[in-house]
Amino acid sequence: MRPFTLSRDTFHILVALADRERHGYSIMREVEERTGGDVRLSPSTLYSAIKRLLEEGLIQELEERPDPEHDDERRRYYRITKAGRRAAMEEARQLEKLLADARTAGLAPKRA
Amino acid sequence: MLTRLYRGLLFLYPAEFRDEYGRELSLVFADRSREERSRAGMLLVWMRAVIGILKEAPKEHYHIMIHDIRYALRLMRHDAAVTAATIAIIALAIGSSTLVFSVANGLLLRPFPYPAQDRLVAVHEYSPRDPHETNKISFPNYWDIRARTRLLQDISVYTDGDALLYKEGVAESVPVGQVSDGFFAVLGVTPILGRTFTSADDAAGSPGTVVLGEGFWQRHFGRDPRVLGQSVSTGNSQYRIVGVVTDNIVIPDRAEIWFPMRTDPKKAPRVDYFLSGIARLKPGVTAAQATAELSSLLEQIHRENPAANNHFGIRAVPLREALAGTYRQAVVMLLSAVGLLLLIACANVSNLLLVKASARLREMAVRTALGATRRRLIRQLMCESAIFGLTGGVAGVLLARAGIPALLALIPIDIPRWMDFAIDGRVLAFALALSLITTIGFGLAPAVASFHRDLANSVKQGGRSTSSGRRHKLLRNSLVVSEVALSVLLLAGAGLMTRSLLALKTQALGYEPQNVLKVDIDYSQKRYPDGAPSRALIQHLRQEISTVAGVLSVAFTTGAPLDNHWGRIYTIEGQPVPLQDMPSVNHVIVAPGYFQTLGIPLLRGRDFAESDFDAPHIVIVTQSFARQHWPDGGALGKRVRFGSPANNEPWHTIVGVVADNRHGELKGEDKPTVYLPYSKDFTPNAILIRGSGEPLRMADAVKARIAGIDKGIAVSGVLSLEQILERASWRDRFFTVLLGVFAGMALLLAVVGLYAVLSYTVNLHLHEIGIRMALGASAANVRSMVMRNGMTLTATGLGLGVAAGLLLTRLLKSQLYQVSPLDPAAYGVAIGVLATVALVAAWVPSVRATRIDPVIALRQE
Repeated sequence: MRPFTLSRDTFHILVALADRERHGYSIMREVEERTGGDVRLSPSTLYSAIKRLLEEGLIQELEERPDPEHDDERRRYYRITKAGRRAAMEEARQLEKLLADARTAGLAPKRA
Repeated sequence: MLTRLYRGLLFLYPAEFRDEYGRELSLVFADRSREERSRAGMLLVWMRAVIGILKEAPKEHYHIMIHDIRYALRLMRHDAAVTAATIAIIALAIGSSTLVFSVANGLLLRPFPYPAQDRLVAVHEYSPRDPHETNKISFPNYWDIRARTRLLQDISVYTDGDALLYKEGVAESVPVGQVSDGFFAVLGVTPILGRTFTSADDAAGSPGTVVLGEGFWQRHFGRDPRVLGQSVSTGNSQYRIVGVVTDNIVIPDRAEIWFPMRTDPKKAPRVDYFLSGIARLKPGVTAAQATAELSSLLEQIHRENPAANNHFGIRAVPLREALAGTYRQAVVMLLSAVGLLLLIACANVSNLLLVKASARLREMAVRTALGATRRRLIRQLMCESAIFGLTGGVAGVLLARAGIPALLALIPIDIPRWMDFAIDGRVLAFALALSLITTIGFGLAPAVASFHRDLANSVKQGGRSTSSGRRHKLLRNSLVVSEVALSVLLLAGAGLMTRSLLALKTQALGYEPQNVLKVDIDYSQKRYPDGAPSRALIQHLRQEISTVAGVLSVAFTTGAPLDNHWGRIYTIEGQPVPLQDMPSVNHVIVAPGYFQTLGIPLLRGRDFAESDFDAPHIVIVTQSFARQHWPDGGALGKRVRFGSPANNEPWHTIVGVVADNRHGELKGEDKPTVYLPYSKDFTPNAILIRGSGEPLRMADAVKARIAGIDKGIAVSGVLSLEQILERASWRDRFFTVLLGVFAGMALLLAVVGLYAVLSYTVNLHLHEIGIRMALGASAANVRSMVMRNGMTLTATGLGLGVAAGLLLTRLLKSQLYQVSPLDPAAYGVAIGVLATVALVAAWVPSVRATRIDPVIALRQE
């Protein structure tokens, strides 16, 4: 599979899907909460990214609803795939390395 | 409410995306909105959502387009032959159209290089006898109009010619413009250096001044700014240089330096016309309003000067129309021709794509079954067409660019500066628009034809013999029929133009143009004043040039045929005519030997002799002149007087009658011509030399002999008489050749179209043909079946084309010379040519059909 560079938005979506399956709105809320409101996805950005992630096989749509009693059955649910997990981990490692480099260069605070 | 609005905005997305995610998007948006309590928060959510759509929707379109393009390119590679043919056809059609449009642009659209150029008008006086006459205004009339006009910002007059310039004793003949002082201001031309003319420069008797054109300044002074105050010598006098202007002045064309008029309005004759008028309208004034004012001013002038009242009219014509008006019809004709060609090309490409689409019915059906929407597939097909259209368009523009030099090579004259056929933004925009329009034109038919409810059937039947196949067949056949019809129309048009050109070329000229060289000479009047000195010069020139190898005879004239003609009004003795009704003739001064050199037969009376130089009040007239005034003969001995009666010029006695010959006009009605002997009043300035072979080969030797006599004699305008004839008929040749090329291309396309359709039909019916042959049909049966199919299509097309031609070629009438727009020969040839090539195009597939092996054909099922 050819390398897929993750944009910031898609990375956030993968992170939001890391612990469990979610529907679109739930992804949006999760990203917003996690970043303390710094990252707010518009519906358009969200679904363009979802479409791209589906095409690349990094996430997949669920056939059955995880919790039919609890949830609106009209909604579509997504889950991260193995490839998606790999891509996210790879991205995280790259970011970590970048952060380390930035620290060495004095561009980020050194942690004790 | 907001959610509904949001849903509306979703239509900015491609349908596929909307179908897939539209509902989800609205849901998420609704959820998000529900959470916001405050109005400001709602607004923020709404704005963010809208911005999101505006940002993401184009991206989705882009993704789909990229996908479509990749897919289309893959298919095009797969079908390389069809792809190449399609692009070539489109490129040819768009290339030709672009080329013709660049001609139209250069002649009719491209703005002149002047500020507010739409306010420039040419001002013409015209005789009531010939309201189409142009380009003339008398100096005193101009003068009075300039003083009285309220609607013109300013008016000026100009004329062009050649002036003799001396540099270190060597003469050069330079094209000049002679202009009144308002000329540059009227055009809005400001000098590059120094100044232009003032009324003081222009006053009669003022010291001579001159303005240089940029090229002349460059060539003779190396752009030295210290040129101001220096002088230019014409041999007769010195002219002080006061300024330099751009060469980009389109009227008079090609002038390299500029002199003021220096004419006295009180002395200049009021009915002498050799000046052209140009004026600038005041803002908001129309040409029609200016014409009305000019007419009333001219009437006023006529009332004040009854002796000069020739009842002439006057009008203001937008400059563009004055310069290019006569080209308009020919350009429109070419545009229509190339439009037809474009239609044929579209039909052809449509056909190719239809054939391909038929083959692809199965593919489309499969894709539909796999869930592709109809819209999606049409989009895919249109994308393929657009790639064809745009690639063909780019190739076409490149073709057109390459074609421009060939086009210019068809124009034997020095192309006037205002004609510029280069490809500019307007031409490019035209080509782009054409590419898009043709894309829709040829792409839509196959796209639409590819779809209907019966697609599922195609999966089973492999695209053969379904009702969609029948529909395709009808469409294919009508496209071929229209191609044939349009090409026969173009062929007939080209045939008519060719017949007309041939009529022009083979008409009796009244002289023998082969092997004649023409040379213009100019020299200082001081050096060779009219009379004995100029007579001695002419005789010396005759002597010297006669000794050049191959020269048979030498003649001198003030105007070679179709090169330079001067018209004069005249009166026959005893038949006075009011001034406004006086007819005019071509007025030519010749030295003895003119008729013999050109091969113009003397019908009655005598030729000129050297002795006439001292008793010059005689005239030789053409037969039509003699017939017009003395239908029963007896012209010899009668007397004619030239010019306005008020001038009281001497009477001239007719001593000879020569055969009619085309002196002033090659096409249409020519005026009669009168010839006067050279004398102390007139010295000829053109030499005609008849040689034994190619005349231009004598040119260098002739020039050397003239320089041998005096380097102060400038030589210019070296042309063979046949070149002069070419120049006189260049427009007819230009438009005929172009139309012929288009007709040829149309023929080719129609034949290719016919061939492709018949071949395809044979392939489609392999099975049926196989069965027939298995059941005992002979090769001849099969062949005639295919041929009949082809000939039916051709005959239908021919019928429609000829009917359209009979209606439309009437529009060509004004372009035709001595040929009827219904000329049977032109139609006959068009029909014959088309029918013949159509036979060949049908023969090849029909023969192939007979070679089908029934066993193999049947097994294909």
